[in-house]
Amino acid sequence: MQNKKGLYILITLGLVVLVLSVIGTGIGAVYIPPYEIISNLLGNDIGSNQLIIQNYRLPRIVIALLVGAGLSVSGAVLQGIIRNPLASPDVIGITKGAGLSAAIVIILFPKAPIFVLPVAAFLGAACIAILLYLLAYKNGVKPSTLSLVGIALGAICHAGIQYLMVKFPLEVNAALVWLTGSLWGKSWDDVWLLLPWILILLPVTIIMAVKLDILNLGDDVAEGLGERVEVMRMVLLFIAVGLAGSSVAIVGSLGFVGLIAPHIARRLVGNKHHLLLPVSALLGMVLVLIADMLARGLMPPVEIPAGIFTAVIGAPYFLYLLRKMQSTP
Amino acid sequence: MDNQYNKRKTKQFLVFAIGFSLLILSFFFSLSVGASSIDLGTIIHSLFLGEETQQSRIIQSLRLPRAIVGAIVGANLGIAGAIMQAITKNPLASPQIFGVNAGASLMVVIAVVLMPSFSPTNLIFFAFLGAALGGSIVYYMASTGGGMTPIKLALAGITVHMFLTAMIEGLIIFHEHSTEDILFWLAGAIDGRTWDHVQVILPWALIGIVGAMVFAKQLTILSLGDDMARGLGQKIALFRIVASVFVIILAGSSVAIAGPIGFIGLIIPHIVRKLVGVDYRVVIPASALLGAVLLVLSDVISRFISFPAESPVGIVTALIGGPFFLYLARKGGQ
Amino acid sequence: MKKVYVGFILMISIFVLAACGGQSDEPASADETNQQEETETTGEDQTSSESRVITHEMGETTITGDPKKIVALEFSYVDALASLGISPIGIADDNDENRIIEPIRDKIDDYTSVGTRKQPNLEVISSLEPDLIIADLKRHKDIYPQLEEIAPTIILGSLAADYQGILDGFEVIAQAVNQEEHGAEILELHKQKMEELRAQIPEDETRTVMPAVVASSGFYAHDDDSYTGSLLSSIGLTNAIQSGDERYNKINLEQVVEFNPDIMFHMVAGDETVVDEWADNSLYQDVSAVESDQVYQVDRNMWSRFRGLISSEQILEDAINHLYKN
Repeated sequence: MQNKKGLYILITLGLVVLVLSVIGTGIGAVYIPPYEIISNLLGNDIGSNQLIIQNYRLPRIVIALLVGAGLSVSGAVLQGIIRNPLASPDVIGITKGAGLSAAIVIILFPKAPIFVLPVAAFLGAACIAILLYLLAYKNGVKPSTLSLVGIALGAICHAGIQYLMVKFPLEVNAALVWLTGSLWGKSWDDVWLLLPWILILLPVTIIMAVKLDILNLGDDVAEGLGERVEVMRMVLLFIAVGLAGSSVAIVGSLGFVGLIAPHIARRLVGNKHHLLLPVSALLGMVLVLIADMLARGLMPPVEIPAGIFTAVIGAPYFLYLLRKMQSTP
Repeated sequence: MDNQYNKRKTKQFLVFAIGFSLLILSFFFSLSVGASSIDLGTIIHSLFLGEETQQSRIIQSLRLPRAIVGAIVGANLGIAGAIMQAITKNPLASPQIFGVNAGASLMVVIAVVLMPSFSPTNLIFFAFLGAALGGSIVYYMASTGGGMTPIKLALAGITVHMFLTAMIEGLIIFHEHSTEDILFWLAGAIDGRTWDHVQVILPWALIGIVGAMVFAKQLTILSLGDDMARGLGQKIALFRIVASVFVIILAGSSVAIAGPIGFIGLIIPHIVRKLVGVDYRVVIPASALLGAVLLVLSDVISRFISFPAESPVGIVTALIGGPFFLYLARKGGQ
Repeated sequence: MKKVYVGFILMISIFVLAACGGQSDEPASADETNQQEETETTGEDQTSSESRVITHEMGETTITGDPKKIVALEFSYVDALASLGISPIGIADDNDENRIIEPIRDKIDDYTSVGTRKQPNLEVISSLEPDLIIADLKRHKDIYPQLEEIAPTIILGSLAADYQGILDGFEVIAQAVNQEEHGAEILELHKQKMEELRAQIPEDETRTVMPAVVASSGFYAHDDDSYTGSLLSSIGLTNAIQSGDERYNKINLEQVVEFNPDIMFHMVAGDETVVDEWADNSLYQDVSAVESDQVYQVDRNMWSRFRGLISSEQILEDAINHLYKN
């Protein structure tokens, strides 16, 4: 019964993602009607709009899909291991770590080749994760300590970013555009950088869904079931960092995706991770697709950072969810 | 018993004595360091003899009001943090983590963007509104599902903070393509503050400080836990509300004048309680004193970041406060 | 349950593959259009089919023929193109055409706005089908590959360049549009004009000058390394700030007093600025420039944003008018 409902939800969401992707491809400084897009995707030549679709819209749509999935699954995993519904990669400092190391590269090594930036961002995220683990490790990692330490590390990184921005005002332009979270100027090259991470880590996460379910029962029960809780938590934490870090490395800090997508998913399909994870991924895609559509289409030719929209869409919904959570514990 | 009491009194006296000396020292640095350094003799001359040299006018019309604004804002934030930690019994409670700063900042930015002709005097009321809004959202979110734990507060606070920050960034991007403005409204600064600003913030600061002192006894009881507080009867809720109003006044007026300067409200009450114990009749003035010292000193440090250019002091307090926050976090927020 | 995953993964992969599959068609079709264009241009203009290699901040770019449809992503390049008698088809004008200063607006035809200088809209640039894009090192380094895909792109310094850097950039642009000789003539004329302007400045001018953007958020002084600062010092007006960490320093009243400039040019942004707050302060009244009534309000677009040949001449004329003609 549960599975059947889950299946329907998955299919519906899948269709929504598909429709949004097609419509979204048409939205931007130049409007392209959906039938032209479909015709083009089927291999027909549609003239001048073809280049726009192929070079700018499609890579952004694909990145929106990948990033949406990466961030939201990362959030779902973190919420599982920290056992707190308020956890997400942006909240526990991973995003900020990526941002700081990217800012350092932009500002201190302006001559560095472009592909270094995502690598640096990912390393920054990983460093924060390692630090997080080391600092939170006191006779085992307690979930609450983990997220508190994460928030603190995030605050320090944030201060570091601000310091760099003040110290080197001329470079701020580049850094700020990147830090606000935006899909502006993304190309197929970025897709190829991101794709392997998501394609490898996403299935791995889904395979580990059962472990997340066990962790959710509490440390004692999990240990009773013969699981090595600490190891499992560490592995999952690094998967979450990989997903979030690679996403942030490409698009900057798109807030709230990792926070609310898993929440909505939980309300739709419950706590079982084998359903929760894919539904989260689809919802994350929807959110990022919509945010980026607004970013492109609201006041062309000016681009608005998509991160602002994910926050504006995400935060009120988050408040609403909390209300719901309170009334139905 | 008596002996212990005396010992504590002596310690408290020492804390205040050292605190005052530090404040005077930090004022000296603040008056002396700048585009031109001014020596102690000249400072004293210009403060007390009212000479009309250029240096003395720099001190009188620029550095002194700046230092005073710094001291008031620091004191405000220190007290606000102390009150918040008492009424929530939560060690991480502070104007920043409670979304009070970001809320006030957002409302001020909205007011500035929509009604550019507003004077600082009016902006304060917007800041109060924003402070109340930000604070209540976080309070509401953090107290869902039975009790507010440090972790819930921190998560709820950071979430609301991220949301409000995104709104501020969005507004500023729409309004003007100036990144400097964004930094000011996200980090907070006190450079270029004048006697006008002192005049605007002083009455509110006095209301907040006096109010906090009047209710210091109740705050002590509240901070000791609900069992103790039950003696207060039904008035607990009322005290909490009254105390929250003081927090909004203290933090809101600070943000309206100096932007959302972070971490002072978090750090100072912890240090103070370590030093003088949990009696809020002592904690409140000591928090004010040390908060003032911290902000005035941070402001001095901020002048060196990219001299001769000015940098927001909020960056310095964040760089100092971040590691302290980390230390608190490692203790699990206890 | 397994079916669910299979379906899920399948769906994603299908979409991604479809998208990527679509993409693989693209280089071929792009080539076709390029070829078409090339044949067109050779058909039209026999003399301009030779290629030139332009060296710029991001390496070398080969440009064939006379680029006619040019997109400028900084105002400097609009100025340079206008000087050469070319009207760009696309300009990153921050979506506000009033930012184009009048003497240049008169010289160029209607253009399409391609968005902000920070984040120019690639779709719009691409839909204009330009044959040359000129971009800024600081702002557009990261999208250089994407710009290169649209059209040959040269990256120059504008945001962080000083006056000499702007002149160097002009020469590269002249080369790129195949008007090297014409460009050299114009540069010569410009230098003559600057010489004439310089001649109007008394030999014994020793006053210091401080150009600054004044806004409500602060007073941003442009030092000797900045474009405006270096331009003014090229005609003998010494900048009050000889060195700083960066070219645009946010300074407070105290530092203005300390640097004590004899002349100030305020590039005003917004209705209310910090200077309004300072006006009452006796310290500000005592700053040499204020005391001797040598504070001039000037157009920020012309003085700070444009950074080009025409605007340089305008700035100096402006300055000389203010300083010596009254």
